[in-house]
Amino acid sequence: MQHPPHLQIELLSKRFEPLKRLEQWQQQHSNAEPGTAAAEALFIGRVRAQASDGAALTALELEHYPGMTERQLNALATACSQRHGVERCLILHRIGRVLPGEAIVLVAIAADRRGPAQRCCQELLEALKHEAPFWKREWRADGNGQWITGNTPW
Amino acid sequence: MTGPDSATIRVRLFAGLREAAGWGEQEWSIEQARSPEAVWQQLRLGGDLLTVRIAINHTFAAADQPLQAGDELAFLPPISGG
Repeated sequence: MQHPPHLQIELLSKRFEPLKRLEQWQQQHSNAEPGTAAAEALFIGRVRAQASDGAALTALELEHYPGMTERQLNALATACSQRHGVERCLILHRIGRVLPGEAIVLVAIAADRRGPAQRCCQELLEALKHEAPFWKREWRADGNGQWITGNTPW
Repeated sequence: MTGPDSATIRVRLFAGLREAAGWGEQEWSIEQARSPEAVWQQLRLGGDLLTVRIAINHTFAAADQPLQAGDELAFLPPISGG
């Protein structure tokens, strides 16, 4: 069981459907090794309709650091997956202009048991929020755009 | 490789820092850029370097890490991913 975890990490500049992408990921998994990794945990994050000060949000803009962002995501996913001994890890993260209601992040973990799957999923999500170079700018109806400094609380 | 033209580093700024400075990428002479904190002082962007993350060649680094010609130095404002 101690083979290296399978990682799939993508930055997406266009809208994506998390459930479709999740289904593809599950199918690859069940075709390759049916009956293994019986536990899956997942998180889907979407863009809120309100900016951090409560004003109506028209879009969220996501900037990243090409090269470093991918490298950091890979390092975080590798470390977290190995620490929890999970089998497979999927991270999809939007970049560019994202509209309210659209998915911004999908993290999915497959493991042998629920504990490692859920812990790894939560830990990796928190790690990427704080340690992977992404920056959000909130665009409002009046055309004003403001960079967010920091993350939302839990 | 070691001619005067190659003795530079690349400085990169992101998000709010990029807009405060009015540029995102510049070449700096290594003579002016011995460490991230030396570059930061010359940028005069205001604000505390403690609130900014530093990366050298796509890896987080300390403010006093010596720079070498060919390095890419980046100043990263507070991260907000996910």
